[in-house]
Amino acid sequence: MSTEQIEGSLGVAKAVSLCKPGVVCAYPISPQTHIVENLGKFVKSGALKHCEYLNVESEFAAMSVAIGSSAGGVRTYTATASQGLLFMAEAVYSASGLGLPIVMTVASRAIGGPINIWNDHSDSLSQRDSGWLQLFCESNQDAVDTHIMAFKIAEKVGLPVMVCMDGFVLTHAFERLNLPSQEQVDAFLPKYEPREFLTPKEPISIGSMVGPEAFTEVRLLQQRKMLSSLQVIEDVTKEYREITGQHSGGLLDCYNCENADLKLIILGSSVGTAKDEIDRLKAQGINVGLISLKAYRPFPYAALKAAVGNSSQVVCVERAFSFGARGIICPEVKRALEGTSTKVCTALAGLGGRAIYGSTINGIVKHALDGKFKDEFTWFDIDTKVLNSYTRNALGITFPEGPIAESELEATLLRA
Amino acid sequence: MMNKAFAVTLDPATSLENHTGSWRTLRPENVFKLPPCNKQCPAGENIQQWLYYAAEGNYEMAWRFLTENNPFPACMGRVCYHTCEGKCNRGFLDEAVGINSVERFLGDYAIEHKLSFKRPAKDTGKKVLIIGAGPGGLSAAYHLRRFGHSVHVLEAGAEPGGMMRYGIPVYRLPRNILDAEIARITDMGVTIECNHKVEDIEAEKKKGGYDAVIITTGAGISSNVDIPEGDTNHILNALNVLGEIETKGNIEIARRVAVYGGGNTAVDVARSLRRLGAEPIIVYRRNRDKMPANEEEMDAAIAEGIQVKWLSTITGATKESLKIEKMKLDESGYPQPTGEYEELPADAVVLAIGQNVDKSILDKLQGLKVERDAIVIDPETNETSVPGVFAAGDVASAKDRTVTLAIGMGKNTARSIHAYLRGVKYKKQPKNEDARFEDMHPWYYTDAPKTVRPELELARRTNTFDEVQYGLTEENAIYEARRCLSCGNCMECDNCYGVCPDNAIRKLGAGKGYEFNYDYCKGCGVCAQECPCGHIHMVPEKI
Repeated sequence: MSTEQIEGSLGVAKAVSLCKPGVVCAYPISPQTHIVENLGKFVKSGALKHCEYLNVESEFAAMSVAIGSSAGGVRTYTATASQGLLFMAEAVYSASGLGLPIVMTVASRAIGGPINIWNDHSDSLSQRDSGWLQLFCESNQDAVDTHIMAFKIAEKVGLPVMVCMDGFVLTHAFERLNLPSQEQVDAFLPKYEPREFLTPKEPISIGSMVGPEAFTEVRLLQQRKMLSSLQVIEDVTKEYREITGQHSGGLLDCYNCENADLKLIILGSSVGTAKDEIDRLKAQGINVGLISLKAYRPFPYAALKAAVGNSSQVVCVERAFSFGARGIICPEVKRALEGTSTKVCTALAGLGGRAIYGSTINGIVKHALDGKFKDEFTWFDIDTKVLNSYTRNALGITFPEGPIAESELEATLLRA
Repeated sequence: MMNKAFAVTLDPATSLENHTGSWRTLRPENVFKLPPCNKQCPAGENIQQWLYYAAEGNYEMAWRFLTENNPFPACMGRVCYHTCEGKCNRGFLDEAVGINSVERFLGDYAIEHKLSFKRPAKDTGKKVLIIGAGPGGLSAAYHLRRFGHSVHVLEAGAEPGGMMRYGIPVYRLPRNILDAEIARITDMGVTIECNHKVEDIEAEKKKGGYDAVIITTGAGISSNVDIPEGDTNHILNALNVLGEIETKGNIEIARRVAVYGGGNTAVDVARSLRRLGAEPIIVYRRNRDKMPANEEEMDAAIAEGIQVKWLSTITGATKESLKIEKMKLDESGYPQPTGEYEELPADAVVLAIGQNVDKSILDKLQGLKVERDAIVIDPETNETSVPGVFAAGDVASAKDRTVTLAIGMGKNTARSIHAYLRGVKYKKQPKNEDARFEDMHPWYYTDAPKTVRPELELARRTNTFDEVQYGLTEENAIYEARRCLSCGNCMECDNCYGVCPDNAIRKLGAGKGYEFNYDYCKGCGVCAQECPCGHIHMVPEKI
């Protein structure tokens, strides 16, 4: 174990390097670029041995190379973000359909247009149904540890894993990080033994066409693997925590949840901000629980239900939503809590890099405790001044100061 | 053992159960197209085909395919004006393939290696008389003999060859080459009787009991023009001059000689006289653009120091000079007199203004139709208006008179007679569609400039009849043959085989090409797109 004050991207690069990948394919896109740049340096300097570092011509190529090398039986890593993830989307689905245990960092960033390079979760959540495991990181320490665990989880389950860390907020932040030693990682992560791979000695075709006669069954078996990963994540997390003494990973993580009647559910780096604010609120005698959702896919319905317990209200602080529908996390939480009387809603905040401050969390908590979340979906951190400056003249409508509930947005259609 | 995924992972060859060819809406098919060189060749050579074998280094095979159509490759490789090269698709890329030089290489190779034609397996018992042992007559004799007919050639001159011997100067066609290629034809059993001028065609036919006759008497009479002349100025005709040089090796003429005319014969005469120490000057009534003489020959003449008096006609001759009238071209390019005159010092004039057919023997054949200085023939069969009498070469072509055309006409006539002797009317075979450059994918061809044939140095050309142009070495010849784009015909480059995403192209082995496996070909058309020579067509499936 060593402790270093370094950039998150460098920390992740070091973590990946400790896992000894055989192939790293790289195509630059902010805010992921520093990770693969650092890995490139490691390969060049010899710090990372026996690794093919491939500069490719696009994200589509990056995932295609990853599929090829993984099908060839090699531990494979790549990283991307935002439009890059969308560009490789077709191959992303192929990788999971073929059961290839690729690990990919998604340095989460908003999707254009309008083009925006800052953090939210619209890119990673767009791949909800891609068949990849999606593990969210709340800090750079969590990111370092989750990457190392991700290889083991992927290889045990036989599915690829996306490690989602917030772009810039984590990737470009310098923090003190505890990196496990090579011996620790070697003890934790054995040499990769592919269950099937392409070799001239025993020729097979991987990825053949499957027609209506077996496609459903292929999907069922894929879902079965995905379901099995819930236990694998827990087992691997336990093992890793025992070896390193870190408190990272897991399906979810609870903070101050005991006896909290109101709980927040948050993915990613806002968890840290929320923890600080929850401490401040506690000092004021306000008890709020926080569930950091680590695994979005597979979704830990049972674990989440247990974590919520008998709380009367849950607010999902979401950094992406579904056009024409509502939040993306909230419906999953509602499924988990079906049959309970817990009220679940979404506070949408932090789109396209808008900062989620302690004051934002504080506002959400107060809003919830005052019973003001009247709808399932609320635009929480809206800048009314900016909005009205346009709508007043262009649409002939104005919005009142503060969060906008979905029904209030709908009502403006009648007013206009 | 691997832990194979359900359905997604397959054992080798199991996907062959999916006959994905059923998805196809377009099917690739091999098409054989007519390359522009073949189309242009007056002798009807399959140039692309023999270049393919030459490019493989199989010179004998190349020569065998070449001589399927033309028994004179060594001569043609020297004297043919190779209009094929003007049509060569490679010209769109860099420069035309040096077809003529490779043909000569193959011809010389065959002579050097003493290759001979196969005698016919059996004789048909039919007898054909050929009158005139020029290129047309000998070409017909060769092809008729291949069919197994008995062929006898009557030649008025002392030696066979016609214009190849008595018209084309030695520096263009050394006689040992001509003799070797003629000997190869007589070795097949063709008999040639020289110094036998036919006076009565009908009588000769009857006397010899011939089943058919071909008239290939050429156009051996120089055209005349009336020039008022003084006593002592020589006025001679070109064919006599060339004939005399051929038979005697020299001609007593004069120092300053005006050669009157702008065709190939004028150039041959001028260049021959230059070699005999004279100072020839070509007098021509139009300009260089309008000159019918071959451009390369004319360039060589000018390089050798032969002067040309353009836009000039000779209106009179005195002892030491010619009276020249200056001409100007009218709007349609015809020369018109200007009324301006000048003197041109000259001791003699050689007329090279055209050649005519000797009608004296033709007139005696009852019913033979002759029009505008040529026997009228059926363009399909080359038969004259007299049944069983055919004609080929200059005597049957008023417009275009070249050795190459005569050879082609001789071949066609032989085929026609072969049909005639079996009581069938000959029909020429239909041609394949044209191989157009736009239908090819030339990206795959690398740049390769044409090989320039070395030539005898200029200084030595004024006093020797040594051959001017040299042949290619084997290394050069194979390089030149490999420049062929193989327009519209497979050259087995393996492109289709390599690019097919469905492995649906089978390779049949060297020389056998490929075959499409329609069980798996989805009709994507990549093969057709990537075939350099345009040999693959996509044809709609009937659905």
